Amino acid sequence: MSFASPTALALAAVAIPIVIFYILKVRLRRVPVSTNLFWKQIYDEKPPRSIWQYLRHLLSLLAQLLLVVLLVLAVADPSFSWQLLQARRIVAVVDNSASMRAADVKPSRFEAAIEAALATVDGLRFRDEMAIVLAGTEPQVVIGMSGHVPTLKRALRSIKISDNPTELDSSITLGQQLIGQHPHGQILVFTDGCSGRGAQRGRESFSDERLSIGEDVSPKKTPDPVDSSVEYRLFGHQDTNNIGITQFQVRRSLVDPLGYEVLAVVKNASTQAVKGRLELELDGIPVDVLPLDLKPDGVFKRALEKTSLEGGILVAKLTEINAADEVGESATAKTAGEAQLNSLATDDQAWAVLPSREIQNVLIVTPGNLFLQKVFEANPLVRLTVQREFPETWPNDSIIVLHRNIPDKLPGGDLFIVDPLNSCDAWEVAESIANPIITEQDKDSPLMTHVRLDNVLMPQAKQLKFAQPPRVLAGSLSGEPVYAEVKRSGGKCLVLSVDINEGDLAFRTAFPIMVTNSLGWFAGQTGELRQSLATGSMTNISLADADLRPAGEFLLRSPAGESQLLSVRGNRSERQEEIDPQATFVAAEEDPYVSIPPLGACGVWSVVRGSSEEATQPIAEIAVNLANDWETDLRTPGELMKEEPHTLVAGWFTRPIWFYLAAAACLVTLTEWWLYQRRVIA
Amino acid sequence: MPLFEPDFLTRLEYLSIISKRVFRGSLLAQRRTMQLGSGIEFSEHREYAAGDDFRYLDWNVYARLGDLLLKRFQEEQDLHVYLLLDCSRSMAFGNPPKFDLARRLVAALAYIALADLDRICVLSFADGVISEFPLTRGKARILSLLKFLESQQVGGADTDLSRAVQGMLHRSRRSGIAVVVSDLFDEHGFQQGLDQIRYRRFDGHVLQLYDPKEADPAQLGDVELMDMETDSLRKVTVTERNLRTYKELFQTHQRSVREYCRNYGLGCTQSPTTVPFDALILQMMRKAGLGG
Repeated sequence: MSFASPTALALAAVAIPIVIFYILKVRLRRVPVSTNLFWKQIYDEKPPRSIWQYLRHLLSLLAQLLLVVLLVLAVADPSFSWQLLQARRIVAVVDNSASMRAADVKPSRFEAAIEAALATVDGLRFRDEMAIVLAGTEPQVVIGMSGHVPTLKRALRSIKISDNPTELDSSITLGQQLIGQHPHGQILVFTDGCSGRGAQRGRESFSDERLSIGEDVSPKKTPDPVDSSVEYRLFGHQDTNNIGITQFQVRRSLVDPLGYEVLAVVKNASTQAVKGRLELELDGIPVDVLPLDLKPDGVFKRALEKTSLEGGILVAKLTEINAADEVGESATAKTAGEAQLNSLATDDQAWAVLPSREIQNVLIVTPGNLFLQKVFEANPLVRLTVQREFPETWPNDSIIVLHRNIPDKLPGGDLFIVDPLNSCDAWEVAESIANPIITEQDKDSPLMTHVRLDNVLMPQAKQLKFAQPPRVLAGSLSGEPVYAEVKRSGGKCLVLSVDINEGDLAFRTAFPIMVTNSLGWFAGQTGELRQSLATGSMTNISLADADLRPAGEFLLRSPAGESQLLSVRGNRSERQEEIDPQATFVAAEEDPYVSIPPLGACGVWSVVRGSSEEATQPIAEIAVNLANDWETDLRTPGELMKEEPHTLVAGWFTRPIWFYLAAAACLVTLTEWWLYQRRVIA
Repeated sequence: MPLFEPDFLTRLEYLSIISKRVFRGSLLAQRRTMQLGSGIEFSEHREYAAGDDFRYLDWNVYARLGDLLLKRFQEEQDLHVYLLLDCSRSMAFGNPPKFDLARRLVAALAYIALADLDRICVLSFADGVISEFPLTRGKARILSLLKFLESQQVGGADTDLSRAVQGMLHRSRRSGIAVVVSDLFDEHGFQQGLDQIRYRRFDGHVLQLYDPKEADPAQLGDVELMDMETDSLRKVTVTERNLRTYKELFQTHQRSVREYCRNYGLGCTQSPTTVPFDALILQMMRKAGLGG
């Protein structure tokens, strides 16, 4: 036995005055009585006869000495060596993913898992330690190793269910790191077995292939590694059916400025054939209704093309879910059947953000080029004006396209300059470049989306000496910018130094795409695709087009209306205070952006400026869907259910020794008080 | 706080008037003796014998029946009231002390008796008669009596009612009413003293006072009991069981006093010190029928 505070044993000296006081009885109260007539009869005529009455004073002294001993030992905090050797380190991995919302286990998988985890906490022994890890998109340590049961219970009760996918493997890995090399380490996984391991792979495949249509995007199951220290507590059934939308994306058409394309994937994660409908609505207006007829474990994938100028929130809903052989039954039977076939509501609805289109005024000042004129005229979103000479005043509401001739001082506003012949305040025209070969292309820029210039024949281009280093969108082998974004304070400016009269750029598909990209860039559109994110994802929202003056705060509003303050990253907001207002050009810099934290709920999130009380127009909207095959498939894997988990219940000796000593001291105190002291108190 | 407050005499006078109303003329001074004599209260008839006083012949009976019958009357005489005040140190117990209430009671009884033209004698006693206020009569003596009572102090070695009664009997030539105002905590037994009162044909009355804490003590645990009469100390451990036994013994003692008085025709009034003296006087007189 060892003591945590051996110096506390010196407190045993308290026993000495107790013994002295008992011997001397110095504290005997003197009580005057009018007569001893009756007391004599009590004490003389009825003398104590039992041994107890002879020993009662001695026993009182012994009880008090025992009390002192117990208290001193409790303060010294003794421990046995076997306690230290058998202490366990347990990591509880709690799955709060969307699939845990299923109610096939009453009251729900998640609540049953939390109750089981609480029971495990109750079973902790003294010196056992437990950590709680949340198996979200990114594993999160809710509470580190602790043996304090109330704290662990509070931490467990603070866990909320989310729409995130499960990531068990990294959570288990994190749990193993927390356990370290402890001989009695154990990881308890409270989950439904709808592991995120495959889901992660599935997400990666989506990320890689983007919106490629027609391939099987179902993730492949990967068995968990056999590890004796990992024990699964499964909450769910193998026959739980569900049908859900596993992917939903929308993007603007590459060829039709008013068009958009929709990708929808629906999975039937059940053992029955299912019929139903997939309804599409754009801002509450029905767009399409697609019939579903899915075989067991079947997948429905469809790409649709629609048109809309305004854009908005596109919503997909699963309705009228029935077993294939039950079509035509009564409404009550349908409802009951739908509940059995579709156990999770989170994936029955999906959202996507379709960016709006706006009419743009374009002024072309050109000596004449039919291709240039037609490529703008072909865009239905362009209201075009063509002039041969510079106007007396430059319009403020138009994109100015300057072909060949440019003024000495560039006008304000958005400029698209093609094949400049003369110098200006932003550059000087040097010698021509013969047969420039495009070797450098900024793939990250939205201006170069879906544009490939490396095989375009361009006999001639102008060599430009820029006053400030531009952002090169396409450059030649010699490093000369052929297509560049010029940074300036007066507006956006693009320069294409290629002579479109020569070569075949104007004939290529890339040219109208470049023009369309530039029009979208001038209009402040961040891209054709506003990808619907999976729950638990993080992203950044660029503020390059947002007016940062006056600098304010940005809030992230959840679909439930809760607001969260966002921090602006990047240096534009800081640098703008230092910019000389008279300066025309500024150096290239990183665009400011807000970093969006993990989006843990399905729906449409929005980024707004100002306080949460104001109903302001959102700067950006983000659609978040479950979009996870593994979360949609609620069937608990059978291989994990084979082994019956042994119950982790502690014996009676679950508390530290000092606790029992203190309890014994309390018991002795009560006994001694009952037998002796209560008379004094009374 | 003075023993006899300025309005004490007023309360005594009020008490005297109340007692007269209550007892409707059955006052102490008009108590009839068993001796026949020249009283005015008719007692009986007897046949005339030679030598009898003609003035007592009942001529109405002679006129109706023709028999010579002599009317006899009860003789009235002054009543002697002996008030025995316990001055032992046990009477100092309580807050206020029992002794204060005892002296007020003695003063009240004496006033009522003096107002009824009786003779009173006050004897303070402990282990014997300590001091005496001799037989006297007339309301004018009340102030002297009050001074006497105020001058009394608790003292003596121990309560001995028997010796005190013996001292009283030595001083009294005639019997009368003997009122013992005491707590009766007599280790020798209260019965011997009361027996002597009874044997000498005194009309006895016991006025026993006790403090509520004597009837229901609260001390528990290890205590040192100090006997106020003997100053003896005793270290005891008082348990709840001891307390219950004490209360039983106390009640037994009280009950024995009551039973003794009932058995031998003595008046008995037991009262805690919380009862005001005037209420206690009325209660005592109703019980004992001192007014006749």
